[in-house]
Amino acid sequence: MSFEPKIIAFCCNWCSYAAADLAGTARMQYPHNVRIVRVMCSGMVHPEFIMDALSQGADGVMILG
Amino acid sequence: MLDTKKVGSVMIVGGGVTGMQTALDLADSGYYVYLVEKTGAIGGAMAQLDKTFPTNDCSM
Amino acid sequence: MTLSEVTGIAGDAGNFTVTIKEAPRYVDVDKCIACGACTEKCPKKVDSEYDAETGKRKAIYVKYAQAVPLKYQIDPDACIWLKKPGACGFCEKVCDAGAINFNDTEKIHEINVGAIVMAPGFETYDPTDAKVWGYGVFPNVITSIQLERYLSASGPTEGHLVRPSDGKPVYKVAFLQCIGSRDENLCGNGYCSSVCCMYAIKEAVIAKDHVPGLSTSIFYMDMRTHGKEFDQYMERAKTDSGVRFVRCRVNGVEPDGDNGDLRLSYVNEDGRQIEESYDMVVLSVGLQTPKHVLELAKTANIKLTADNFAATSDFAPVQTSQQGIFTCGAFAGPKDIPHSVVEGSAAAAAVAELLAPARFELSTDAVFPEEREVAGEEPRIGIFVCHCGSNIAGVVDVEAVEKYAKTLPDVVYVERNLFSCSQDTQEMLVQRIKEQKLNRIVIAACTPRTHEPLFRETLKAAGLNEYLVEMANIRNHDSWVHSANPVAATTKANDLVRMAVAKVTFSSALQSVSVPITQKGLVIGAGISGMTAALNIAEQGFAVHLVERTDTLGGNALNLKQTWSGEHIPTAVSRLIEQVTNNDKITIHSNSQVTKVEGFVGNFKSTVVDEKGVRTVIEHGAGIVATGAEAYVPTEYNYESITSVITAIQFDKLYELGEMHVRSANNFVFIQCVGSREKDNMYCSKVCCTHSVQSAIALKKEHPQRNIYILYRDMRTYGQRESLYREARKLGVIFINYELHGKPTVTENGSSIDVEVWDHVLHRPLKIQADLVILATAIRPLEDASDLGKLYKVPLDGDGFFQEAHAKLRPVDFSTDGMFVAGMAHYPKPIEESVAQALAASARTVTLLAKQEIALDAIKATVDKEFCDGCALCVDVCPYHAITLVDVDSMNGSGEEKIVTVNKAQCKGCGLCQGTCPKRGISVDGFTMKQINAQITAALAA
Repeated sequence: MSFEPKIIAFCCNWCSYAAADLAGTARMQYPHNVRIVRVMCSGMVHPEFIMDALSQGADGVMILG
Repeated sequence: MLDTKKVGSVMIVGGGVTGMQTALDLADSGYYVYLVEKTGAIGGAMAQLDKTFPTNDCSM
Repeated sequence: MTLSEVTGIAGDAGNFTVTIKEAPRYVDVDKCIACGACTEKCPKKVDSEYDAETGKRKAIYVKYAQAVPLKYQIDPDACIWLKKPGACGFCEKVCDAGAINFNDTEKIHEINVGAIVMAPGFETYDPTDAKVWGYGVFPNVITSIQLERYLSASGPTEGHLVRPSDGKPVYKVAFLQCIGSRDENLCGNGYCSSVCCMYAIKEAVIAKDHVPGLSTSIFYMDMRTHGKEFDQYMERAKTDSGVRFVRCRVNGVEPDGDNGDLRLSYVNEDGRQIEESYDMVVLSVGLQTPKHVLELAKTANIKLTADNFAATSDFAPVQTSQQGIFTCGAFAGPKDIPHSVVEGSAAAAAVAELLAPARFELSTDAVFPEEREVAGEEPRIGIFVCHCGSNIAGVVDVEAVEKYAKTLPDVVYVERNLFSCSQDTQEMLVQRIKEQKLNRIVIAACTPRTHEPLFRETLKAAGLNEYLVEMANIRNHDSWVHSANPVAATTKANDLVRMAVAKVTFSSALQSVSVPITQKGLVIGAGISGMTAALNIAEQGFAVHLVERTDTLGGNALNLKQTWSGEHIPTAVSRLIEQVTNNDKITIHSNSQVTKVEGFVGNFKSTVVDEKGVRTVIEHGAGIVATGAEAYVPTEYNYESITSVITAIQFDKLYELGEMHVRSANNFVFIQCVGSREKDNMYCSKVCCTHSVQSAIALKKEHPQRNIYILYRDMRTYGQRESLYREARKLGVIFINYELHGKPTVTENGSSIDVEVWDHVLHRPLKIQADLVILATAIRPLEDASDLGKLYKVPLDGDGFFQEAHAKLRPVDFSTDGMFVAGMAHYPKPIEESVAQALAASARTVTLLAKQEIALDAIKATVDKEFCDGCALCVDVCPYHAITLVDVDSMNGSGEEKIVTVNKAQCKGCGLCQGTCPKRGISVDGFTMKQINAQITAALAA
């Protein structure tokens, strides 16, 4: 079985979250194994969130802002 | 201006960036606004632009 | 009101009756959910107006993906059914919402308004008729607006620049300027469209980003990059991006062979005939007033200029010739986005001045029931799963999601809706919240960015705190992007619902902070801008303090004689001074300066000190910086040593006084760009070209035998000022172009002055014997502008002018809330632009002053006193200076300790503090550490 990574993406409400919305509007297709957490600014992402995500089984963390 | 009573509403013709700015400012200062747009959606010419100077922000 | 046009206007200022014709949309906007199923099935394709004919759209369509309202419409000229009922009708069959209505009809509305604002905009010039550009004949000749669409990711080629003729990549592009502008022969538009130089540079730079190695050439007469930071952009385009600029007028476009290439022939600056071949030619088309707008002007009975723009005074740039009817944007003269936005606000100020007595008469506030206290309750979560027609349900197994949602902790109710956002669903939601005693809501539907406000309102209507709702975005982030994999999409939908449930469990009721507002204004600087702003605020009914550092009102305008259109400045300024002085709502503080500032939006306290050292503390809700600029005192061209070398302002005075030397002089030389557009001052002072041309016209008209030379770099008589440039040339004023590397030299030679400059027509140095040399000197920012900037925490740009919050969309706002900028403090500008900006700043100020209090969003940082140990790391990272370190009595009674506090009025809820705090001592409500941790855990739980 091929490796399917689990990815947590922190998206800023004002840019990358909006971009993810637009990707939907444009019906762009992308891999389904990313889970988006909405934040009000990428600066809000505490280092602890990243550690938590990785320690609880995430294979990758993206911070998009 | 004692002869006529003034009406607290405004009509703005044109829903481009200019008309929208007027509409927002007037609505925020206590007036009822009618925004009249010829086409099916507001946005005007700016919505057609790809990016704008100087930040290359998307025009949306 | 979309698809609507004004057909009749009756009545007077303060009370108009307007007739509006609304064309049928054939789609019910209350039902349409913009799923796009109709467009997909529609068999009829036509050219898309939005894509400027570069792409196609269907007969049923939305104007563009982000359109507001996001509702489809049917084009009756293209629709098969509307032409022949029964012939097609696919859209009606596939519309789950039942929104299609082929029987829709035209509607006539009559509305009663106190004022009218005309902002109908422009159309771009259609170069087809001119023939010489080959537009419409050669497919690779396109307009600049078409290039915008090709470069756009949402355009017909998704941002790939390819040739329309054969789809081949483009390597060499030429931009031809002034197509439909500054050209009375081919199109009759003698004016300059003001925006094309700048947009051509921008398009050239961006095209180069899209296609590495792309060669771009701009063929121009004068580069008119007179706006803020425009010249710097042009320099960067030249040096960093390698855009080539060629000064010449290309006379036509011809085919080069039969493969779609295009040939341009032109005479270069050395006088040689050159032929070049290009893959693509972009026509930088100008702006003009569309025909339907000319008709509208007739309906409104407003006067137009010779160039077909709305006629206005330079001192009232948004007032048309009819009382109560205002104008702004490109209809009031060709202009760029920031200036249009400025005028948009300025028109609002002018309307509000007229209608001040009727403020709040027709505006309405919604009323909501009292909020239910839920803090002590166990969570009772209700989940509503939206089908969004087939948008979600067509991919995600919504029944499975419903079933799964019921298994989640604390979930007591789950329901599916065809459209969760519809009006009847909102009523149902209110009912369910009440009967099921729900205290947390999850809406599994689309994006919170568009729909969260709606559901918050619904919660309020149900007596629940509006922050107790969370959305799971199972459409934009799921069904739409994983449509090929329904199983994975359903799993993801479950995960997203679980994450939302985890987060909402820890949500708490939040109260939006409201701050009372001091309903008074402060204006700093009493030049034309400051006085105009103060007067407008006062006429709108608010008290205002006007602070001026000298002993006189009037500022730089006291040195000026006439505006570009010939209006007498001293008359207008003295009238303005009189109005300001006599207005009892305006308090003038002359010989005074601001020395100290406390507070924030709604509640500023500014300390003003006069020349005797007397202090006054002014309380104000908002403030305007209108401190102006100053004239540059030149050191070049032997200004200091030769008495007949004078500045333009000195010339004005001497000319007005009929001074001997000026009166008897026969040979005049004007030198442009003295102190502008070079080295550390890479900006255009904007007014000097027009001023020199105007002076030259006056001199020439007085004595036609006078020899007048204007030595210039680019003649920037932008917009409708171009008529002055035309007139000067007709009168025989001689214009000689010089480049920065070949500046003229000025030397004394007995009683006259020798001016030497390279002549580009004769290709040799030219020596002019001048009696008088007039230097068009730059406008400089105030040297101590930064002092004021620091007091109000508002920034300066690289040139030393005040920096607005956003170059395009917030041109008079500062990034600090409650502070605004107007006039030359922002950038050099002529009077009508200063007046417009002053009115705009006033309008923005009044949006605050008109309210008793400002309600702020409740998403704010909150300090946890238990964990904060006063390390103050967050103080420095806060971009809004909202956090301060204070001393408090320690909780265990052992004396004082340090802790931070957040000023909720200044906090924007970005959470930089939260991301920085090592001790969980501060977090943003609605996005707490606990909430996000719960979301992460839930995301990875499966």
